[in-house]
Amino acid sequence: MKLSILTEGIFKNNPVMKQVLGLCPTLAVTTSAINGIAMGLATMGVLMGSNVAVALVKNIIPAKVRIPAYVVIIATFVTLIDLSMNAYFHDLHKILGLFIPLIVVNCIVLGRAESFASKNGVFDSLLDGIGSGLGFTLTLFVLGSIREVLGSGSWFGINLFGSGFSPAILLILPPGAFIVLGFMMAFNNFVEERRRIGRGGVQ
Amino acid sequence: MNNPLKMVVVLTVISALAALLLAGVYGATKQKIADAERQDFLKGLTTVLPGFDNEPDRDTLTIEGKTLYVGKKGGQAFGYAVESVTAKGYSGNIKILVGVSSEGKVLGVEVISHAETPGLGSKIEDKIWRDSFIGKTAGSNITVKKDGGEIDSFSGATISPRAVCEAVRAAIAVIGKAGGAK
Repeated sequence: MKLSILTEGIFKNNPVMKQVLGLCPTLAVTTSAINGIAMGLATMGVLMGSNVAVALVKNIIPAKVRIPAYVVIIATFVTLIDLSMNAYFHDLHKILGLFIPLIVVNCIVLGRAESFASKNGVFDSLLDGIGSGLGFTLTLFVLGSIREVLGSGSWFGINLFGSGFSPAILLILPPGAFIVLGFMMAFNNFVEERRRIGRGGVQ
Repeated sequence: MNNPLKMVVVLTVISALAALLLAGVYGATKQKIADAERQDFLKGLTTVLPGFDNEPDRDTLTIEGKTLYVGKKGGQAFGYAVESVTAKGYSGNIKILVGVSSEGKVLGVEVISHAETPGLGSKIEDKIWRDSFIGKTAGSNITVKKDGGEIDSFSGATISPRAVCEAVRAAIAVIGKAGGAK
């Protein structure tokens, strides 16, 4: 079933919440909702491009050099996104600029190339790239939103509580990322465990 | 299937294709990126040299190895802007742009880059605070109030404003020399 490939990456096999991959950008850039979305979409663009490219060339690449070949492909797409973002979304690029090149070493991208795109067709690989990318974007968006609302008192740059509100600055500092992500994972596991028991699973 | 020659050929072809693609995109975006960066810089200059009608980023002087951007209105120079960097921030360098009028008064301060703590030291970006430098001269006591000066600091963050004060003083000194040389 094609649709399940898409939803797999968003929920059941979410890159951050379930596979716990790609934590460097997850923790580093999510100081605001917009940063989370932008980083997620940039990664999704790379995932789609690299998954399709890897699926296309998987049969001509000798097994021994597949990892270097994948890395070249991934690095190419990352640089493409970096350049176009700098040209067309310059302000956003100024904030995320440092982290875009790091998508190359984001294990989600190489992980999907190795474990999915190298074994499946072009269309399925594209779906997998979109699914994993959306899952990553969704997680970064939620994490960024929580940190921005509690840590800066605003959402998408819009002040929510007026000037009397004193935000918990800790949450937009690096430790805040670990704390919020920990709570999100705990909540996610709690909900899934409840569902499993609800379906008659063993506690 | 696994002979060494094939590995070399495949990797070379993939790398060559990647290089070709990158060269194309680099060429296509180069001008656009340069324009965006120049716009950014001009926006900063507008804050510190309000009302110029020339192109200060192309109209420059060099004093003691520093580049001064000359702001002109109707062909008449009315002020100079200079980049000033201080390493005394809380984390990393703080880079600011300071504009000073021909009479030696500060016209504006713009923060170009810094790595101060978000929510504390990062308040140096705040426009109202930056505007408190306007009108100060080399004779003013440009230090934070905690050090007996005229500039406010933030609760919980004194180091960052103190560093900015230092950078502003350095900028005024450099531009003062330009005024003398004129």
